[in-house]
Amino acid sequence: MARARGTDGSLLASLPWTLLALAFALLPHVPYLPVWITAALLGCAIWRYSIEVRRKPVPPTLLRAALALGCFLGVLYTYSTVSGVGPGSALLAIMAALKLLETRQRRDQFVLLFIAIFLVMSSLLREQYLWSLPYLVIGVILIMTAWLKTAADDAEPLRRSLGTGSRLVMYAAPLAVAMWIFFPRIATPFWAVPIDTGTAITGLSDTISPGDISKLSKSDAVAFRVNFEGRVPEPKDRYWRGLVLHRFDGRTWAGIPEPRIASGALKNIETRGAPVSYEVMLEPTRQHWVFALDIPYHWELENTFLGPQHQLARVQPIDQRTAYRAVSYPDYRIDLELHPYRRNWYLELPEGRNARTAELARSMRAAAASDERFIAAVLTKFNEEEYHYTLEPPPLGSDPVDRFLFETRRGFCEHYASAFAVMMRAAGIPARVVIGYQGGELNPMGNYMIVRQADAHAWTEVWLQGEGWRRVDPTAAVAPERVDAGRTGAMFDGSAAAWGLGAPSRLLHNLVLTWDAMNAKWNEWILGYGPENQERFMAWLGMDDPDWRRMLLTLVAIVTALTMLISLVLMLRYRPPRKDRAAILYGRFIRRSGLKPATGESPQAFASRVQGETALPAATVRSITDAYLDARYGPPDPGVLHRLESHIAAL
Amino acid sequence: MSSTRWPFPSRLLPGINAAVSRRVRLWARRRQGADGPVTELRSRRIYILPTGVGLVYALMTFAMLLGSMNYNNNLSFVLTFILIGIGFVAMHQCQRNLVGLEVSFAGTEPVFAGQSVQFRIAVANRSKSPRHRIRLYLDDLQSDIKDLEPGDSGIFTLPVTAERRGRVTLERFGIRTLFPFELFRSWAWLHMYPKGIVYPRPAENAPPPPATQTALGHRQHDARGEEDFAGLRKFHSGDSPRNVAWKAYARTDQLLSKQYAGADMSSQWFDFDAIPVEDPERRLSILTRWIIDADRTREDYGLRLPGRSFPPAHGEAHRRKCLEALALFGLEDADG
Repeated sequence: MARARGTDGSLLASLPWTLLALAFALLPHVPYLPVWITAALLGCAIWRYSIEVRRKPVPPTLLRAALALGCFLGVLYTYSTVSGVGPGSALLAIMAALKLLETRQRRDQFVLLFIAIFLVMSSLLREQYLWSLPYLVIGVILIMTAWLKTAADDAEPLRRSLGTGSRLVMYAAPLAVAMWIFFPRIATPFWAVPIDTGTAITGLSDTISPGDISKLSKSDAVAFRVNFEGRVPEPKDRYWRGLVLHRFDGRTWAGIPEPRIASGALKNIETRGAPVSYEVMLEPTRQHWVFALDIPYHWELENTFLGPQHQLARVQPIDQRTAYRAVSYPDYRIDLELHPYRRNWYLELPEGRNARTAELARSMRAAAASDERFIAAVLTKFNEEEYHYTLEPPPLGSDPVDRFLFETRRGFCEHYASAFAVMMRAAGIPARVVIGYQGGELNPMGNYMIVRQADAHAWTEVWLQGEGWRRVDPTAAVAPERVDAGRTGAMFDGSAAAWGLGAPSRLLHNLVLTWDAMNAKWNEWILGYGPENQERFMAWLGMDDPDWRRMLLTLVAIVTALTMLISLVLMLRYRPPRKDRAAILYGRFIRRSGLKPATGESPQAFASRVQGETALPAATVRSITDAYLDARYGPPDPGVLHRLESHIAAL
Repeated sequence: MSSTRWPFPSRLLPGINAAVSRRVRLWARRRQGADGPVTELRSRRIYILPTGVGLVYALMTFAMLLGSMNYNNNLSFVLTFILIGIGFVAMHQCQRNLVGLEVSFAGTEPVFAGQSVQFRIAVANRSKSPRHRIRLYLDDLQSDIKDLEPGDSGIFTLPVTAERRGRVTLERFGIRTLFPFELFRSWAWLHMYPKGIVYPRPAENAPPPPATQTALGHRQHDARGEEDFAGLRKFHSGDSPRNVAWKAYARTDQLLSKQYAGADMSSQWFDFDAIPVEDPERRLSILTRWIIDADRTREDYGLRLPGRSFPPAHGEAHRRKCLEALALFGLEDADG
């Protein structure tokens, strides 16, 4: 038994490489994995390596089985599931650790390298950044080098293994590129498996309470990027509509579930003026909401519907980066008629909450001549009285609107939107809160607009007879620059300058913009190479009517051609060395003589035979032979070849 | 490097596996014809199939392709296609690793029946690039694995157990490689029919050899005989190092053997017909034993076979001539 578990140091040449490949494959998983799993793999690697160095037996089966059970239960306990990328990569790491402990033969290492490949793959499922491509290429080279090391002789020098590995990956690269371009992409997955990436995504949620959006205001994460076709809307028109909330419990605003069928809301839109066309590249949100400029009228995204409150949503959550085209009309009128049943939705306030606000609203409405005047009065109140727009509002108690309006007077957009909507409802005007993004920064490097999480915004809509829903942004009354310049502009002109960091920050900001432009191209052309981009690219290549059959045929043709090319390269690589010049010239002499040198006959012996049997001048034959021997075995001398050539010419 | 025979797990279907393997081999033999003494491996006689690891690799890349399609994940498409590309490249590299090698027979040493004949096969790499992980094999029998540098050649040894005396022929052997990733195995069958000699098995407990007939009438084993120093002669391979005149060597730089009067004069005849044993094979075995023993003690001996005789002598060449005659005695190519 102990004998069967013994090691003999035969893995010492290849094991470090296998461990290195595994470690590299694991690297991007480390931030997501519980520490004990990384520690377990590291510990097992060191343990196994020292076993090999000291030629000790591998741990007994019983111990390994106990460890396996322990680790599996550990994963279950940590994740409470075994499916998804998180637990999946954890299990892969555990499998690698345990396989290491029972690895005794060289070939066992192939299993470890297969695991390393799956680790690389699962990290790509989790995240695809610009550095993911070099990561996977280096990973493949390392894995293949370890593979070669496992298959090769112990004495093979590293340079040769690394060289062979890189050479073969290099040969494979054009094949991979061709397959990547021409392999037909399909739009819909075979089966929907949620990718659980194990981390929270920053972004808007389905409901909104005070403090929700101000939390986001510190995040520079990109929410989406927009390419405008033609006209770019004015900053004041850059309201990216997300979801509409109408249910208020005194603290939190909530909406209705996303639409799953066409609602007919499109009929209630009356458009005016010129439309704006654009393409959005939306980062994954794991929500259903699809952001579009107020007010969306056309959109090209499957299974996406406009809800009764004119919010766009897709049936499947946005789990992947998603691109869609849309057309919006900045000048519009919606819902000229409001059904009494719906009207009640927008007037409802919870009993006995925020009583002072309601009281204030009713008295202000009584003092105003009309709804219009009342709205203007409320906005003027926000603007002229001591109200502050701040990223760090103080916490609010049980009646947050009251406390905000009368005591703290400091808030972010959600505070103002909420307070404003409550006041409208208290005064009998239907009102709702809309959340989405406001603003966006044009990136001059790529000529597109970046909308960040920090641009998240809440505003309100009030319904007025004869006009329908009108957008009112109370934040604009408090901090007009927020809407005019966008949050980023405000930040850089104000706070950064105040810190005396104006110029370096600008430089830094330009670098950030350049990096973002690269990322945007990367997202668009590499990560976003889906059915549509592929079709466009095929059309650009001149393929008319590109469908998957044509693409597959092209793919097969190109791969065949490239394979023949590789075969040719290999053939040249393994061809016999070329005859040198001296041999070619001497061959001419042999043909001239009309005789054939016997196997093993020396040039001198051949020369004397030529002198004996042919009429060639004996002296020339001797000079030719001497010159040939000099060229062959003498010190390097370019003159000798000339001599040989002239002697042969003299014949 | 366990089962490296056929891609199918040979443990699963051993019978079918062997039968398929045999049929393919025979087909290849018909197709290729017999090979000359020096054979260059051309690409049309090199076969290639995936190994078990290769099949697992193919399965894995297919699963990765499905996964990439399902998640529409372009980077895992990249990874998958690089791996598929590497598989393609590995296939060509594996086959190219054999193409152009020059295989030739490099001789054998004669052995006794029951031992194994070491067939030495030279493989020369005449190309500009190294060849990796080359191995010769015959069914389950495998040679060492060698790397061949450009311009180098390696000698591979295939030990074939010989049960009977006579000539033994290596009907076929294969050359194969798993380089680079052991995903594919490419191989070629060679039919060069190299031959080796197998001497009869030396008889155990053989009767003592017949008495020495010498001019002086005394037996070879007389210890005194070695004391009658008769002079020096040139050293022949097979002479006992005990008899080397080391002093003379130090003086003249020439290896000389001391000659003794007693040894020189003695000569015995081993006669096939004189052995009182029925079985001719047994007689050959006994003769073999006598020759070995006589050679060991450096006695002169002659061998008389029906129709052939070798006058008394000693030394390596004489021993080989006699043993070869015994090995081939009565076989069709006795003179060959």
